[in-house]
Amino acid sequence: MANIISASHLTLGYSNNDVDIIKNANFKIKKGDFVFITGPSGSGKSTLLRSFYGQLRPTSGNLLVGAQDMSKISKKKLQELRTHFGIIFQDYKLINEWSVAKNVVLPLIIAGYNVDMQETQAKRLLKHVKLSEHADRLPLELSGGEQQRIGVARALAKNPTLILADEPTGNLDEYSSNVIWDLMENANEQLDATVVVVTHRIPNIFSIPYRHLIIENKGIYEVH
Amino acid sequence: MKYIKDHIMFIFPMLAILFGIESFIVFDRMSKSYEQELRADYSMLVLTSKPMELSRFKKLDGSISSVDIMEKRSIVEEMAKGMSGISAEDIMQSLPYFYTVHLGKYLDAKAIEKIRGKLIASEDIKSVETFDQSHNSSYNLFLFIKIVLWVFVGFMTLSSLFLVIKQMEIWQFSHKERMQVMEIFGASTMLRSGILFKRAIIDAVMATILTSALFAFLRFVWVERSNIEILTKNKKLLFEYQDIAILGSIAMLIVIVAVTIVVVGNREGKL
Ligand SMILES: Nc1ncnc2c1ncn2[C@@H]1O[C@H](COP(=O)(O)OP(=O)(O)OP(=O)(O)O)[C@@H](O)[C@H]1O
Ligand SMILES: [Mg+2]
Repeated sequence: MANIISASHLTLGYSNNDVDIIKNANFKIKKGDFVFITGPSGSGKSTLLRSFYGQLRPTSGNLLVGAQDMSKISKKKLQELRTHFGIIFQDYKLINEWSVAKNVVLPLIIAGYNVDMQETQAKRLLKHVKLSEHADRLPLELSGGEQQRIGVARALAKNPTLILADEPTGNLDEYSSNVIWDLMENANEQLDATVVVVTHRIPNIFSIPYRHLIIENKGIYEVH
Repeated sequence: MKYIKDHIMFIFPMLAILFGIESFIVFDRMSKSYEQELRADYSMLVLTSKPMELSRFKKLDGSISSVDIMEKRSIVEEMAKGMSGISAEDIMQSLPYFYTVHLGKYLDAKAIEKIRGKLIASEDIKSVETFDQSHNSSYNLFLFIKIVLWVFVGFMTLSSLFLVIKQMEIWQFSHKERMQVMEIFGASTMLRSGILFKRAIIDAVMATILTSALFAFLRFVWVERSNIEILTKNKKLLFEYQDIAILGSIAMLIVIVAVTIVVVGNREGKL
């Protein structure tokens, strides 16, 4: 199958800082892959994900995402590309003045779905992440784990082709974590989504085949 | 509470702009109507040796719109009665023809002097009286007030525009988080700024309604009660329905300019 992400000699860093975070990395992620990325805190896991959704451009080397060269992608193309992604953030990034239900359907609002459709989908998604009774509340009225589940539901809203998740179970207990892993497995198996998950711990029980990339000393390596 | 304050901070400078502009519109209308009155009143006195048609006057100067010949026969006949040996006809023969000449547009002293020059150059015209003194001073006063008002309204608009943009920046700042999240999910600039636009347009409409209502109140209620004759006579000039459209368009223009300035000046932060 074709690659959805392909990096060669990829180097990443921030413009306000001279040190490279990722240096000379080579890897490929195929369509349909389920990939875990692990590494110590501060090793650059979130940084790597940012480069995938175009918030950080490569310092040097080559990064292709969905056939787009991320070094020179136009604003318009990037906008289009992002509508196919489902992104889950370590710090949730919810819109705090919007209700839980509205947050969840943000990708549908962007895609121009009508209000009826938004409502139906919000109900379905909130049921999946077990937040149905909180639909009309504001995110800040919910616990950290509950907010994380809003983020997960939002990422899955529009059947994304690529799910990029940064510690999606970081704040969840075992039960809620398993709910999330089930959703991810399902998205990968049933909906053909490619899934890239940053986590500090790969779940013990995982029923589908997966790959494991590890970030170490600025390099990215496959664990077999 | 914060919501209301947010809106007031935007509506207030907007009101100042629209109030200034409406004042200017009203003054402009009043000065035009006053000009019209002056024009209707104003005439030159021209003495000719032969009778002259309007077309001949027009050929001498295009701004002449009408002429009236002064009827002198009745006066002359009256005079002739008291004088023996001289008939009314004789007097009529020796007197020049008197014309009151009206102008089609309102002109300042210089222009009138020019017309006078043209008229006097004609060999049939013996004398031209322009009465330019009183005419000119009231016109100059109007011009002066108009310029002062222009400067005042211009200044007010400019400083209010700064306030409008400042308030927009405050909004933008409080929306920054939302905008960034929306951007990461692929929302267009238009969609991201939509809320900003919506809010600003609501406020612009509010300011338009308030300003129009104020002037409509002046025209329909206050003037009636005021008993100030010059105002009662001209109350129509205080507010016309088309003013709503003018103010509305100006308010929209300001909103679009202000939002564009803020949105363009606040692109995605590069990491
Ligand atoms: N916006 C930024 N500007 C400059 N440096 C940054 C920025 N964000 C992160 N860094 C630096 O980049 C390095 C990698 O950070 P990153 O957040 O990618 O780590 P991480 O692997 O996700 O860590 P964690 O497991 O704690 O989330 C860190 O040294 C961090 O200080
Ligand atoms: Mg991180």
